[in-house]
Amino acid sequence: MSIFFLLLQQELLLTAIIFVLLFVKLSTKQWNSQTVLSFVNILLVVNLAAGFFFKEKGTLFGDMFQTNDLLRFEKNILNLGTLLISLQAYNWLLKHKHAIEFYLLMLSTLLGMFFMLSSSNLLMFYVGLELASIPLAALANFDLDKKRSSEAAMKYIMSSAFASGLLLFGISLIYGMVGSVNFTDIAVAASENPLFLFGFILLIAGFGFKISAVPFHLWTADVYEGAPVAVTSYLSVISKGSMLFVMTSVLSTVFANLLFQWYNIVAVLAVLSMIVGNLFAIRQQNIKRFLAFSSISQVGFILIGMSGANIESHSSVVYFVLVYLFSNLAAFAVINVISEASGKENIDDYKGLYKTNPALTWVLAIALFSLAGIPPTAGFFGKFFLLLGGASKGNYLLIIVAALNMVISLYYYLRIIKAMFMDANETPVEKLAISWSPKISMAVCMAGIVVTGIISGAYEYIYSLLK
Amino acid sequence: MEITQILFWFLSVLAVFGALMMVTSKNPVYSVLWLIVVFFAISGHYILLNAQFLAIVNIIVYAGAIMVLFLFVIMLMNLNAETEPQKNKWLKIAGVVAGCSLMLVFVAALRQSDELLKAPVSMGGETGLIKTLGKTLFTDYVLPFEISSVLFLSAMVGAVVIGKKGD
Repeated sequence: MSIFFLLLQQELLLTAIIFVLLFVKLSTKQWNSQTVLSFVNILLVVNLAAGFFFKEKGTLFGDMFQTNDLLRFEKNILNLGTLLISLQAYNWLLKHKHAIEFYLLMLSTLLGMFFMLSSSNLLMFYVGLELASIPLAALANFDLDKKRSSEAAMKYIMSSAFASGLLLFGISLIYGMVGSVNFTDIAVAASENPLFLFGFILLIAGFGFKISAVPFHLWTADVYEGAPVAVTSYLSVISKGSMLFVMTSVLSTVFANLLFQWYNIVAVLAVLSMIVGNLFAIRQQNIKRFLAFSSISQVGFILIGMSGANIESHSSVVYFVLVYLFSNLAAFAVINVISEASGKENIDDYKGLYKTNPALTWVLAIALFSLAGIPPTAGFFGKFFLLLGGASKGNYLLIIVAALNMVISLYYYLRIIKAMFMDANETPVEKLAISWSPKISMAVCMAGIVVTGIISGAYEYIYSLLK
Repeated sequence: MEITQILFWFLSVLAVFGALMMVTSKNPVYSVLWLIVVFFAISGHYILLNAQFLAIVNIIVYAGAIMVLFLFVIMLMNLNAETEPQKNKWLKIAGVVAGCSLMLVFVAALRQSDELLKAPVSMGGETGLIKTLGKTLFTDYVLPFEISSVLFLSAMVGAVVIGKKGD
């Protein structure tokens, strides 16, 4: 019985937090929003810390749920990201009337992602996926008086429902062929039979939607632009990261028999994502749209790493998601502070930022350097390992395309850095006082970018978990 | 031909015909009515597969509740052929090409795999009863069942938040 609680520890703790918050919301006493937010953040710290204490692994409910060291580590990464986003959103939520509901929805999507990660059959995977995506639509609508926000939610729920439909059709075809939804049974029965392949491709389309790889990316820019900044960062880091974890492990274990097929699919998706993401990122004027396309091209690089299909490439994907989490959240922290204080979200508004806010400028610059993959930052090592993992297949053409795309991406990341440091601006963003919570989050991100890059321990630790 | 086979073909033809009529009807109210026909035909299939409970739920929830909701929305919005937004011609052509390609792939995949498809497992008449279903749901599938309760809770919270926009 005790092992039951320890295996499900991360999920049970999260569920407990959700229900505590629900009762806080339902109680007749009107809580001061500052108290509530501090309370929630303390709970999230506890939630993050508790993940490091237990090491039990095993399966539960007759193969419905599995956990091991790698999955625990991946969940800790997601917990950390959620905590950082919660800190960044502090000032926005202080003024928002529905702060507790924000956490209820965000934590239930996190719970869905945990179950999705721990799933060992397609049914659990699907239930987790739905739990991870339906509340996200409501979150995208959280700027309640803005029309753009409602539009973002509508677009997200529509395209998400369509992607779920494709995914379910794929699952039903696979179930029809195999007669079971268990990953172990599917791994044995996976064959090059056309009907099975058809189901498998529909499944990949479902994955591709969630990670916004290129032919399935059309919702990304609009939703990212319309949603509140905190939700945008949640979508681009946590939601995407969890799906990348699941996709990597499912493709390399469950569909190992179909390696040739999925290698080609993933390679095409990677090339398209990098090229389209980069070309569109160059043209963007809104910084949130810009980061949307930048995240699409980052997914292209991650898919290159994924295509390696061995332990090195698997650990390179997990490592890169960790690095990407720090870099992207650092960038979003700055955007959040500026957008909260002045409502400015265009790249032109960032001109001359260095004159008024040097600290914010440096944080954003280091984050963008890391996203571009410039050496001392962690982003360089992350991309290096991804390309190394992809190169293990010997398809050097793919690696050359990726390297060329890194050069293109350098151009548009540097464009923003140039705007901030060099360009003159008559009406720059005025000097902003940054409160403690975004400061902590930025400091953690900066430390993460430096530490995971310079100290090789992070990659080696992930590698040791996989072995 | 046995009676079940005749019923199977009758229901299949009815379902496909209803689906086609639903898509091609000009009037959205007719579309909804044809969709109800499709749901009834599919419920008939469930009964043929010994899934009585599923058939009843399908009729009550889909054909009953959800379709009535649809009808209300369509009547309140007063949709008809004139108010329908005109779509781009190229978009229509692209849609037709994409749909036909999907159909082609599906048919081709089915043609090559029919010997691999498992023969339909004939289950006893007990399978679809609420008792059996409940037992499975609360033993083998208890975890997804419980998680979906969290899903409904969070969906409800989301709906309430969006609905409280005014104040």
